[in-house]
Amino acid sequence: MTTAGLEEFEDELETCFGASCGFCERGCPVYQAMKVRTLSMKGRNRTMLGLLNNRFEITPSVIQAAFECTLCGNCDRWCSLKNTDHTRAFREYLLKHGVAPMKEHSSLLASMKNYGNPWFQPRSARAKWLRGLDIPKAATGKQNVLFFAGCTSAVTKPLMSSLVASAKLLRRAGVDFAVMGQDEPCCGSTLLRVGQTDAFRELEKENFEKFEVLGIDKIVTACPGCYTTLKKSAERLKSGIEIVHITQEIVHLIRSGDLKVRKSSERMTYHDPCHLGRLGGIFDEPREIVKATANFVEMPNHGLESRCCGAGAGLQAAFPQLSRELALRKMEEAKETGATTLVTCCPFCETQLGNLPGVKVVDLMELLLEATADD
Amino acid sequence: MNYISELRAALGDANVLTDPAELYVYGADWSPMTSSEIRPPDVVVQPKTTRGVQRTVKIAHAHEIPVVAGGGLTGMLGGALALFGGIFIDTTAMNSIIEVDPKNQTVRVQAGATLQEVNDAVNPYGLWLPHQPESKWVSTVGAAIACDNDSTFGVRYGKILNCLLSAEIVTGTGEVLELGHRKAHFTSSGYKLKDLLAGSEGTLGVVTEATLKLEPIPETRFVEMLVFRRMGSAVDYLSRLLKAGVCIEAAHINCKRRLKFYTHAYTAKHGREPEIPTWAEALLAVAFAGDKKISSMQRDYAIDIASEFEAEVVKEREIVESWWASKYTLDFEPFKQKWPDSQKTKKFGAADPGVPVGRLEEFYHKFIEVAEKHNLDIIGMNAYLEHPNSIGFSLSCAVFVDYRNADEVRRFRMFHDELSKLAVEFDGTMSTFMSDTHQKAPYLELEHGNSLKYMKEIKRLFDPKGIMNPGKKFVREEG
Repeated sequence: MTTAGLEEFEDELETCFGASCGFCERGCPVYQAMKVRTLSMKGRNRTMLGLLNNRFEITPSVIQAAFECTLCGNCDRWCSLKNTDHTRAFREYLLKHGVAPMKEHSSLLASMKNYGNPWFQPRSARAKWLRGLDIPKAATGKQNVLFFAGCTSAVTKPLMSSLVASAKLLRRAGVDFAVMGQDEPCCGSTLLRVGQTDAFRELEKENFEKFEVLGIDKIVTACPGCYTTLKKSAERLKSGIEIVHITQEIVHLIRSGDLKVRKSSERMTYHDPCHLGRLGGIFDEPREIVKATANFVEMPNHGLESRCCGAGAGLQAAFPQLSRELALRKMEEAKETGATTLVTCCPFCETQLGNLPGVKVVDLMELLLEATADD
Repeated sequence: MNYISELRAALGDANVLTDPAELYVYGADWSPMTSSEIRPPDVVVQPKTTRGVQRTVKIAHAHEIPVVAGGGLTGMLGGALALFGGIFIDTTAMNSIIEVDPKNQTVRVQAGATLQEVNDAVNPYGLWLPHQPESKWVSTVGAAIACDNDSTFGVRYGKILNCLLSAEIVTGTGEVLELGHRKAHFTSSGYKLKDLLAGSEGTLGVVTEATLKLEPIPETRFVEMLVFRRMGSAVDYLSRLLKAGVCIEAAHINCKRRLKFYTHAYTAKHGREPEIPTWAEALLAVAFAGDKKISSMQRDYAIDIASEFEAEVVKEREIVESWWASKYTLDFEPFKQKWPDSQKTKKFGAADPGVPVGRLEEFYHKFIEVAEKHNLDIIGMNAYLEHPNSIGFSLSCAVFVDYRNADEVRRFRMFHDELSKLAVEFDGTMSTFMSDTHQKAPYLELEHGNSLKYMKEIKRLFDPKGIMNPGKKFVREEG
């Protein structure tokens, strides 16, 4: 369903017009920052409906309505409709109706095509984080579990330490795993979010063919975007490969007490990355880890109600000012809890929030590894 | 320079919207209409201050352009739709909380703040704004005043007017006026012009700021549901509770058909309808709130005397919680039955009359008769007690309307008109929570007789050129 064309949603758009409750507005970070109706889901649905009904042409506001959204899914929280799917289909519709990809998105796509990642880094850069770790490279029939690093963490120097921490913790959890190193493909999340659905479909098919050839039964990833994308791809392609997030894989170490963790008295809060929480349904495991290591405090908007950091779905690239505004709001919420550290586990959220003044931003896996350093 | 250029010069380009896609989203509210009826304004402005509203209205006044102000656009009868085009003032960017005064239990807000935003700001002080329609997440203070919409807690706290101490408006000439009595709860001085604002639908001016009376958040709340053999018994029972001195926080009488509107999620979960006795014709949902000891005593006493009215308490808490969620907490799982699970093909449409307390049952039968005559799928009737410590109610006479079908929308409007007129014949009123809008304008004289000309004079005083939300309340006079 995630790749249905906009026309297929027309009935749902009519339903939104009929219901017109606007309950999506309250939790929408973009609407709350901008107060522009076409940027709320109700307004966006109505914009799509008007477009399909030929009430107006594709205008700058239509394009803005389609792309100025982080696809954080908060609107779906308060609605029975598949709003984020509508938005993805909206982007695809515009691209198929003559709208040129946004130049910032075009460069991401060019990089995907040439380098296999959205960040203009050579394929070899993907393997840099593995230096000194002695992790076997995946080979046909040699392993059951694959640790999937994800483009962003693998090619971004400050984020590599989180992958190292993940790998070390997986080992402690007794997981026998391999990695694909520089042959690891992109999960395609970026393609999907910016409306390149056909290209995404091709990529996901190729990816799962590779995984199948390697004889992978389970993919563990620490990247929330990769997690939801791979999980949905596996479902769509009816693949038997299990997709899990690293917190699910290692939380038993905390629960069983097998991992001795030093608990600090530092006040820390946890930011649910949209892809892991609201879209991935994983809320408890990361919290268990933070609670084991620090004095945990919740932000007012947490769990399903967590507000997006503003980095996702191409917003950071194409609308940096708005993206930063969303991040500032998130940081303000974190500060108000009295926490000195914000823990999260998404490379986008970490980069986005880590660049702001306020509280310190720490990766969940690094936090846990640090708390067990003397173990 | 045309008026849109003047608006740009006055408010800045970013605050003046003319892109047809942006205008389109302002072309419909929550009322039953087909999507082909969406009628956008000519221009939308988003002022941040009273001064911005004033500049807008002055430009409109000079050019004689219609001005409609709106908030969340959840009106149920088109009150904030720009029927004659012109300027739509989107007030939602005017949502500042200007002053919370915990000692005097008041808050001063810009009128574009949603009712929920007001509560988010005052709850930390142990206070709340009890005016709570189901649309509170999007309904703004200004829109609540202009529409005079309903509140779940009306029987204890009344509606928005009972909370409104003072309001700033921009009149149809662009004059800024403060109407009301500052932070005093009431006054015997002057004419109570502030009261004219409740249900005025923006026809006198645009509400820009309001001072609202707050209440302490009760320590606890008990919600119960009782079933009765007749709707009239539920009315008698409530009257008895008030006589006994019981403080009721919320009271809603549902006909047995209406309950199904709240149990969609229950039915989906359990695969069956909730077990309500077949003899039950009415279900009363009632809440008691305050200190635990007192509220529980009141609740217990209310349950004790229920047998005098042959009533039974609904034991299945899930039904009660489901109903309460749909009215107040808005927890999604039970609530989604209303928006939009149950409305995939048809939507909720209603008439909102008020009838004398002794004629509820009689009117209920008329409602069924009229709905059937117009071949509409009946949701049922809900009588909300909306007046402090009295059994005066708002009626929501609801039907499903296929908003994809122009003929059904037309039949719904005929149904609405017929029930509105009937309410006057019943010695009641046409409207209790939607206001008049353009829908009732053609026959408003039925209710108000000769006093209508005084109302028109009042409007002329505030809005001499008739630019403020034209066509609402009064049919627009040509020329």
